[in-house]
Amino acid sequence: MANHILMAAAVLIFSGVGLGVLRLILGPTVIDRVAAIDMLTIICISTISLYALVADRFIYLDAALVYGVLSFLGVVAVARYLERGL
Amino acid sequence: MLDLLVYLLCGGILASGLLAVRLKSLLAASVSAGLAGLFAAVCYVLLGAPDVAMTEASIGSGLSLLFFLYAMNRMGRSKD
Repeated sequence: MANHILMAAAVLIFSGVGLGVLRLILGPTVIDRVAAIDMLTIICISTISLYALVADRFIYLDAALVYGVLSFLGVVAVARYLERGL
Repeated sequence: MLDLLVYLLCGGILASGLLAVRLKSLLAASVSAGLAGLFAAVCYVLLGAPDVAMTEASIGSGLSLLFFLYAMNRMGRSKD
């Protein structure tokens, strides 16, 4: 049962990375690309968390934590640049 | 399953690197260059080096994006 749940999570991560890269390539405006990159960062966080669960090494969750903080910081910086300059 | 994930992440690194070279907008190019570092950091975690991944994510992806934005702001927003 748990194996099936992990496999479903992996399939969702695969399809999410595919759709995010597609939006990153196709996106007509800069804002679309920034939103796609934010989504890909969140998918990276979920990938690291899933791998920490699969490999049973919970030290990897620290890397996921750093990812979360940096994703927020990067998107805020880009939004501030787009609005009126850094 | 892990091999497939590593292949997918390598494809993501290739795609974002090509986009960083080909995109016209400077902001989109620098952000997708940061994304290449982000995917590389996930590869580092999967290869068993979480400390390298933390350094790559904080400096290679976060701080360099901030520096690029600061430089573009100083350079003037004429071409965006």
